[in-house]
Amino acid sequence: MIKKQLLVLLVLSTFSLFCLGSGTVKIWFAGTNKPLIEEVENVLIPEFEKENPGIKVKAEFIPWGELSTKLTTSFAGGIGPDIFMHGQAAIAGFAEKEIIAAIDDYIYGIEDFADFGSTLDAGVYRGKSYFIPVFGSGRLIAYRTDFFQNAGLNPEEPPITWEQLRNYAISLTKKGNNGRVSTFGLNLPVEGVDLQQSWTAFLIQNGGGLFDENLNPIFNSSEGLEALNYYIQLVQKDKVSPDYTLQGMGNVHPLAAGTVAMSYIVLEDLAQMKMYSPKETEKIKVMLPTVREERASFYSFAGFMVSNSTRNKEDTIKVLNHFTSKKSITGINRALNSLPPRQSCVEADFISGNPDIGMFVKGSKYAFGNPNMPNWVQARDILVKYLERAVKGVMGSQDALDSAAKEISALK
Amino acid sequence: MRKIMKFTVKKKMVLTAYLFILPVLAFNLLFRVAPIFMSLNLSFTDYDGFTSPNFVGFENYLNLFSQSEFWQSMLRTFQFAFEVIPLNMIISLFLALIVNDKIKGMGFFRAAFYLPVITPMVAVSIIWMWIYDPQAGILNYFLSLFSIPPVRFLQDPSNAMHSVAIMRIWRGVGWNMIIYLAGLQGISQNLYEAASIDGANKFRQFFKITMPLLKPVHVYVVTVAIISTLQTFTEMYVMTSGGPLESTTTIGVLIYRAAFDYMKMGYASAMSFVLGIIIMLLSLFNLLINKKGDDMN
Repeated sequence: MIKKQLLVLLVLSTFSLFCLGSGTVKIWFAGTNKPLIEEVENVLIPEFEKENPGIKVKAEFIPWGELSTKLTTSFAGGIGPDIFMHGQAAIAGFAEKEIIAAIDDYIYGIEDFADFGSTLDAGVYRGKSYFIPVFGSGRLIAYRTDFFQNAGLNPEEPPITWEQLRNYAISLTKKGNNGRVSTFGLNLPVEGVDLQQSWTAFLIQNGGGLFDENLNPIFNSSEGLEALNYYIQLVQKDKVSPDYTLQGMGNVHPLAAGTVAMSYIVLEDLAQMKMYSPKETEKIKVMLPTVREERASFYSFAGFMVSNSTRNKEDTIKVLNHFTSKKSITGINRALNSLPPRQSCVEADFISGNPDIGMFVKGSKYAFGNPNMPNWVQARDILVKYLERAVKGVMGSQDALDSAAKEISALK
Repeated sequence: MRKIMKFTVKKKMVLTAYLFILPVLAFNLLFRVAPIFMSLNLSFTDYDGFTSPNFVGFENYLNLFSQSEFWQSMLRTFQFAFEVIPLNMIISLFLALIVNDKIKGMGFFRAAFYLPVITPMVAVSIIWMWIYDPQAGILNYFLSLFSIPPVRFLQDPSNAMHSVAIMRIWRGVGWNMIIYLAGLQGISQNLYEAASIDGANKFRQFFKITMPLLKPVHVYVVTVAIISTLQTFTEMYVMTSGGPLESTTTIGVLIYRAAFDYMKMGYASAMSFVLGIIIMLLSLFNLLINKKGDDMN
């Protein structure tokens, strides 16, 4: 008798678990920003569940640093999310391994999809769409208006050309009584991904590019060499930029701390400075990217991809539509203080009321992103390794670029 | 009849014993032994973490042996281990000798020295990044009081590995101190009293009584230290990401990059296996030379 009861209980619990699982869509957000969590948990999910009573949404917030590891292990274990957020540079790798599903058939169902403009192109790999951008970030130079005034420079007229940028940096570099630099005119990254993104901006400004359409490296061109030599000149010869990375968030950010006059920043840096050093932040302005052949600045978008292993595609697409609607995109970007990919969001209060975010929006006209190639992370690391060697003077610039190109070509 | 009963009781006792260790045994088999063999199997494949693995024979092993990057990172890992292990042992033994005294309030110092051990490595690494910061770090602040220019502890390739090693020693001494303390408290006081009567001073007592009797503890400490330092990953990843100029790219960092940045699980498994075999051989070598020393004595 007891055995029978246990059997019935087992069957019922399995059935209820199955029913519960079938109507639940798992969505992973990248980052653990508190306002984002609140927006998703308290606004976006309740809204969706109210409109779609049969579907439950289970959101998880994964720190960026753990995202790839957790995705790999969860997919390997067969418990991956239905929708997950990642940077656009990950698309090619996931698409190549058939982890993510092409969403061309569903993209037209998204509310006013044309509103995304060209940002949707970032999600296209081998002619198919895999990605809906949600929020973006750009890398622009910010500067201290008070330092400009002290050096006799007009803060309303920031540098435009490479020559001006160099001259401004020289004028703004100050030495203390001990003969050591107390304020660097410019803060250029000298290691890691930041170095690659900053140098690539100079490369593109100089009319060059990273890869051709067949994904062969072309950065070891004369434009690339000139861009790298310019970078090295600022760091090693003029010494207007530190040869080690000056970093810090909030009130210890080099701009807020006053140890640099101009520095590459992302929107998040600005928000942190505003929070922890509001007085100093009032003296900080953001400028458009410099120009040689053209203006260019690194921008990237994070967005949603749909797992190929999703069990309930219909519900998953409904959730995707909801989280990429105008209202959701505005809410998420307001929470993150980031760049929305939808054109209509430019009118949102958090952008129109903030001239610095406005400058990032303007700058997005000159945006370039990471190339969509399957081995991008490894290729990027190789490029970083050789750029760092060149910038730190342990390898010649042409040699470094050629070695990087050779090593990256061998990845194919 | 009595014999049968005796056998049954003995059998029952054995069965009960096995029943008690079954959960631990099952846990270890499932989560420790099985993954080792699965990893060995993966090291012969091109597994990328997502798609089905294909058998590639010894390709991963041949590839890694031909990569200078692998040998360089192996060399750095050994450099780190040779820097950390002896200093860690000396300092922890010294601390153990100090806290072994029965002075009032010594419990506080024992707890204080042990505190870094229970603090997560990521948190410790971030705190030391602040300490080492060339701009706002407290270490450079003290140096500036003596007009010493800022030292780039983590930004200079010639300093970075040593700076991480110092942090690692600071964090690890508490653990070894406790092990040494247990060893010291196991040495009979009678031996020291007898030596004092014979006229041996503290210095002589240390080298003739304490050190020889602590030998099994040294062997344990060295073996565990070899295993943990050669697997070093977290502090390198958090504090320097393997830089500057790859100067802190240890084998652990290389394995992580291959597995989770480049999705080359098969290749990463092969590297893990080579590292595992090296650690096993070194640990065995350490045990063997100490056993040989014991036999000779």
